[in-house]
Amino acid sequence: MNLGNMSFDQGILHLANWVGNVIMPTLAAAFIIIAILQFSKGQEFAHSMYGALACLMVSGLTRAFETFASQAAWNNPDLYWLSLVTLINWVANVILPVYAASQVAAMALRLGVFSPVHPTSGWLRHFVTAALCLMVSGLLRLAEFFVAQGTAGVT
Amino acid sequence: MPTPQLLNDVISVLLLLAPSAALLSLVLAGFSLRREGTMTFAIGGGFTKWMFWAVVFLTLQPLLSWFTSFGVAVPLPSGAPGGIATGWLANFQADVSQFVTNFVVQRMVPTLAAFFVLRAILDAASGQHPLPSILAAMFLLGTQTTYSLLQSYNTGTQYATVDVLDSLWNHLVGTIMPIAAVLALVGAILNFATRKPFLRLVAVSLALLTVSAIWKLLLSMM
Repeated sequence: MNLGNMSFDQGILHLANWVGNVIMPTLAAAFIIIAILQFSKGQEFAHSMYGALACLMVSGLTRAFETFASQAAWNNPDLYWLSLVTLINWVANVILPVYAASQVAAMALRLGVFSPVHPTSGWLRHFVTAALCLMVSGLLRLAEFFVAQGTAGVT
Repeated sequence: MPTPQLLNDVISVLLLLAPSAALLSLVLAGFSLRREGTMTFAIGGGFTKWMFWAVVFLTLQPLLSWFTSFGVAVPLPSGAPGGIATGWLANFQADVSQFVTNFVVQRMVPTLAAFFVLRAILDAASGQHPLPSILAAMFLLGTQTTYSLLQSYNTGTQYATVDVLDSLWNHLVGTIMPIAAVLALVGAILNFATRKPFLRLVAVSLALLTVSAIWKLLLSMM
């Protein structure tokens, strides 16, 4: 055994690669199985389903996080804040519009397949969710406007 | 009055045994890493304490030069660390060094690391996290390389100890923490899929990628 060639850095790097590229894709299959079983019992299965997708995207998510953390120079005191802002922007402007599309599709399924048009059926919730997903920035500006109106305090 | 030869030889022996003590400190740091875990590892805990002593032992001679600047003469034996005139002391030093290198580091440490791998499996069986034992095993297997790394950071000046600690911090932040960020991301994904809190690990993953910036942020707040 040549201990001179073994370093902690290489060990932990290979551990991360093994977990990300070998174990997590295998676990993705396990989470898909769990999602199917949960679906069959009428339980909430979205976490397992999206978890399985995320398990297959460890490398991509790592690159995304590296991009979030590279929005300024390494010694910029605002870098952590900028990385958080970039993450939130990415979720609000990239992920949520896609989620809005899926909600519109879910609404269409409710309307056309699952239930007749009825005010109490779930289609309205999907519609409102889709609209809200596309209005995150506007809602934030609205909340900021309300708070700004109250800076003078109660008179 | 000249310093007795035996005393000079004892000083030489102690200085020559400092690298062996540094190696032993690294091994003990590996044990502490397992005991304290990884996410609960604390600054000022056993791991950092043994790492600190490893650095001190490695930079003992440059550190002693401070006493000269304080006005206290530290007459190291001529050629020290080197020639040991007393035969049995020279043998003692050589035997201890060989014991640490050949017995402890070359043979005992890999075996202990193998036990830590078994421990990781047993940890998982008892519902605990296997990662601390795996990381401790990796740290133990990398003892020699870590020692060489510390040696390469030794500037040999009066500030050698803090220079090594500075370089270690840079190595930790620049090399180890980005890899730890990936592990935190994997933890976040697993927590999300199993409906446990995951946002904390997302924030930690970003923080591990921006440790230097957070340090600069702290400096700018002062």
